[in-house]
Amino acid sequence: MKMGYYPGCSLHSTGIEYGLSLARVAEALGLELEEVRRWVCCGSSPAHQSDETLSIALPALNLAILREENQLDEVCVPCASCFSRLKFAQARMEDEAVRKRIERILERPWPAGVRVLHALEVVTQRIGRDAVRARVKRPLKGLKVACYYGCLMTRPPKVTGQADPENPLAMESVMETIGAEPADWNLKTACCGASFALTDPAVVLELTRRILEDAAAAGAEVVAVGCPLCHANLDTRQEGINERFGTSFRMPVFYFTELMGLAFGLDAADLGLPRHLTDAEGFLRERGLL
Amino acid sequence: MKILGPGGTAVVDGALAGEIRRRCGENVYLCVQCRTCAAGCPTRAFMDGSPAELLRYAQLGLADSCLQGNTIWYCASCQTCTTRCPQGIDIARAIDALRILAQERTDLEVDTRGQRTLNRLWMTMLKYTGRAYELGLVGLLNLLTGRPFKDFGLGMQMILRGKIALFPSVRRPLTMMRLFKNAQEPPP
Repeated sequence: MKMGYYPGCSLHSTGIEYGLSLARVAEALGLELEEVRRWVCCGSSPAHQSDETLSIALPALNLAILREENQLDEVCVPCASCFSRLKFAQARMEDEAVRKRIERILERPWPAGVRVLHALEVVTQRIGRDAVRARVKRPLKGLKVACYYGCLMTRPPKVTGQADPENPLAMESVMETIGAEPADWNLKTACCGASFALTDPAVVLELTRRILEDAAAAGAEVVAVGCPLCHANLDTRQEGINERFGTSFRMPVFYFTELMGLAFGLDAADLGLPRHLTDAEGFLRERGLL
Repeated sequence: MKILGPGGTAVVDGALAGEIRRRCGENVYLCVQCRTCAAGCPTRAFMDGSPAELLRYAQLGLADSCLQGNTIWYCASCQTCTTRCPQGIDIARAIDALRILAQERTDLEVDTRGQRTLNRLWMTMLKYTGRAYELGLVGLLNLLTGRPFKDFGLGMQMILRGKIALFPSVRRPLTMMRLFKNAQEPPP
């Protein structure tokens, strides 16, 4: 199976492990991901906070490139923020006046009917649990995982198409398939404060503390995420949280693709694990999973 | 207060509500002040007000009350209010419209929590390079907001682990400049 791939800026930088692990896992599953040719940034929060037109035009340009230059009609998007911006653009383009204006700005036709899928949706909807199960070599037996979705993988449901935005279960199903044990917890769709990561870290510290606390209270040993911004906040801020709140978090935060790769028996370094700020490999060794 | 006119008659100024409607299609008069948005807002504790208060101000036409505090700038765009609003108002989208209005108002002292600076830097970078360059963004933002060493240690740790690209990458600069120019032309 072949589809387009829109990594977004974070996967070339803070979320590099996500890109590495997704590539390995896709390869193992026989999924060919072709990068959108010379893609540009989706505009992220700064676009929708400052210019409605550009917030549609930038994602639209990438989808137009996908159709025209890659000649593909389906795209895998790992970053929840990019995913959200691409899906929002599709929703806005249903308005004919908007579509005409954006087409004039892009000087390209709008590619109606492109399928935009988050990487988790690619796994659950296009690859399927059976194909995943068939690749598992080292099941993550007994690993208690808090599956964290954050905001934009599921919300708003009118845009994402999620059936249950308050209690999504897709990541749990993948974790069960690879032998892990999903935790039953409260804050799986709470916000980590990603849009304040650069401007006001105090917000991030407070919101991520709540998330980690709830995950720990539910007995989770690790958190699994599907967004580079969630990962940056939960993985890199634990020292700051401990300093500010007197806590002692040392909870590894994995991309769901990293956990899949581990269960497939892939090499931890190839999956990007040594790059985590909160030690992941030491924990896995202690647990006998590495 | 602008709400009471001479003789105690109510004066409601619909200009702001009209402006929000024109910019994003959302009708603030649908709000019944149930406060579901405020109850579920993850950043409510940081705000001067709440999303429900913004909607009420907008209904009454109190533009300055909407735009002046930090409330609109503490919206995380998490889409919780939009998802839960029983009246179907896309509140996060209305707040985006308010943020855009606030950024256009040069006469108002607005506390944007550094977001306006970040937005300008990011969009300018996109216009000429096509991609976000985190190291450049953080460096410039910290300088411009007077906190040059914010998250310095954390940044160093990330650089050591190869998690921060040291150089910007440039993609389709001519296309981007043209796109930004085209987007500035007013809709017919």
